[in-house]
Amino acid sequence: MFGKNSYLYKATLFDAIVFAYLSTLLLFGIFSPSEENLLDLKTNFQIEFALLLLGLFTSLTLAKFKIKTLGIAIFEPPHKKTQGLAVPFYKTFWGVVLLTAFSVTCYVGIRVTEFSFYELTNREGFGGAVRLIKGIFSPNFKVLPRAILEIIETVYIAFVATVLAVPLAFILSFFCAKNMMSGSVGTKFVYTLLRGFFNILRSVEPIIWAIIFSVWVGIGPFAGMLALMLHTVASLAKQYSEQIECIDDGPVEGIQATGASFIQVLWFAVVPQITLPYVAFTIFRWDINVRMATIIGLVGGGGIGDMLIQYQGQAMWEEVGCIALVIVSVVWIMDTASAYIRDAIK
Amino acid sequence: MNPLLSIKNLKKTYPNGVEALKGVSLSVQPGEFLVVIGLSGSGKSTLLKCVNHLIDPSAGEIIFNGKDITHAKGEEVQQIRQQMAMIFQSFNLVERHSVISNVLMGSLSRTPILKSILGFFSTAEKAKAMDYLKLVGIDDQAYYRAGQLSGGQKQRVAVARALMQNPKILLADEPVASLDPATCHVVMDYLKKINKELGLTIICNLHFLSLVRQYATRVVALKNGSLVYEGSPQEIDEKWFEKIYGEGAKQVHVR
Repeated sequence: MFGKNSYLYKATLFDAIVFAYLSTLLLFGIFSPSEENLLDLKTNFQIEFALLLLGLFTSLTLAKFKIKTLGIAIFEPPHKKTQGLAVPFYKTFWGVVLLTAFSVTCYVGIRVTEFSFYELTNREGFGGAVRLIKGIFSPNFKVLPRAILEIIETVYIAFVATVLAVPLAFILSFFCAKNMMSGSVGTKFVYTLLRGFFNILRSVEPIIWAIIFSVWVGIGPFAGMLALMLHTVASLAKQYSEQIECIDDGPVEGIQATGASFIQVLWFAVVPQITLPYVAFTIFRWDINVRMATIIGLVGGGGIGDMLIQYQGQAMWEEVGCIALVIVSVVWIMDTASAYIRDAIK
Repeated sequence: MNPLLSIKNLKKTYPNGVEALKGVSLSVQPGEFLVVIGLSGSGKSTLLKCVNHLIDPSAGEIIFNGKDITHAKGEEVQQIRQQMAMIFQSFNLVERHSVISNVLMGSLSRTPILKSILGFFSTAEKAKAMDYLKLVGIDDQAYYRAGQLSGGQKQRVAVARALMQNPKILLADEPVASLDPATCHVVMDYLKKINKELGLTIICNLHFLSLVRQYATRVVALKNGSLVYEGSPQEIDEKWFEKIYGEGAKQVHVR
């Protein structure tokens, strides 16, 4: 029924989801269901399904009356977006829907997080926090020598994880870039598969990977390094491939027109455009990895995190203060250095 | 004489439904300096890019050097492209590489992949690249980064890269559209020199009619994807001009 305007499928489905979401919240507000009702997955699923169908119907009805819904505003192709009169978005139907959805979500969010000024200003709780902070701000420097040794280990863990991840991410980034992989159905399939795989890898926090690897290769820096490396490959491949997606097509055309082969086009037209951003991303990643490596130690991934969790567990806040000071200084130095290097190679 | 290139009833419809070419036929004799004129969006660029398969045509026939290349695929396309050098409005150099390296890229199709990636171009190729840089008067800049050059210089490097391919024909897509009037003549003079001295056939897209009269040996005009004029540059009078560019358009003289 939509013909070549296939974006309408996405738009209608999106509208239906927004409709179902808003009406669910409305129903929740009206009936204030009990916990038992909320846990009844089967009934709730049926209700949601009905709301979704109702949403589809509403969206199609609105489309019939030529009212631009939120889904259409988002998914319509660029050449259509520029057509028509320039009306401020809050005066359009889709703009009102967007604003409504946003404000309702904010309200529900505040309720869900149990935001409370009373708890925030409770004297007893506040006193405890003050004691802890006081301890941290009067560090015990007896543990400093150990802390320095451990932070050195942490920096090396982060460095090796980054260096080992770079070549893998470099090669894989070409297969994750849309403009490189839009040639045939086969390449598109590889693109989708890899993208999905990396999304999964990235959505699992390195701390979980560290737990898995510490079972696999034993507790210690090796497990932490492997966890960071895996996460780094996935993150860098994504950042790298986005860089490939926004290269200037001119040189690519220029080299293609000389009769060069695919590999030569990659090497001479694409690689020179991405080298500097790649270096910048990599240094930034190393910086992030140093910060993450301190956390990874918490679950037995080696480095200064190991030490931090020991003292924190015994509520020895002065020692924790000293370790925190070391971590903060190193992270600050890494951050400044990496910002400086990224600036210098622009 | 057999035409070097003949295009028969070429059509191109883009995925968004725009009909860029609605059946264009023309042929090009060896040694010609053929200029294609027309407004932006008339299909000039599409025409050139279909010829060397940067864009795949939707229908029609392209015969190059006696061979039907309309449905060429893979390595065949690379061989065709090697014989049809192209220069572009935005120069399309690799700006971070040196000028000489950019010219050497014209020899990629005959250099083994590994050798080219490692940068091992033979001494003969390097000497040849240098000769072409001399031909376009830019040999003193050979070891500068291409990104540092001015627009006119970049286009001359692009011409040297094109010559490096040993092409049978040169396709020039709006080669002077982003240059100032003075530089524009320098680049056009080099193209004319190449056409006269090396006998290289040229197809060139242009905006300015004054340039056309000065450089072309033959002109075709495109309007909305169709051929509306074919003949000598001198025969384009006021009447034809209005027909090609629309009423109310004024000739801009660039001397």
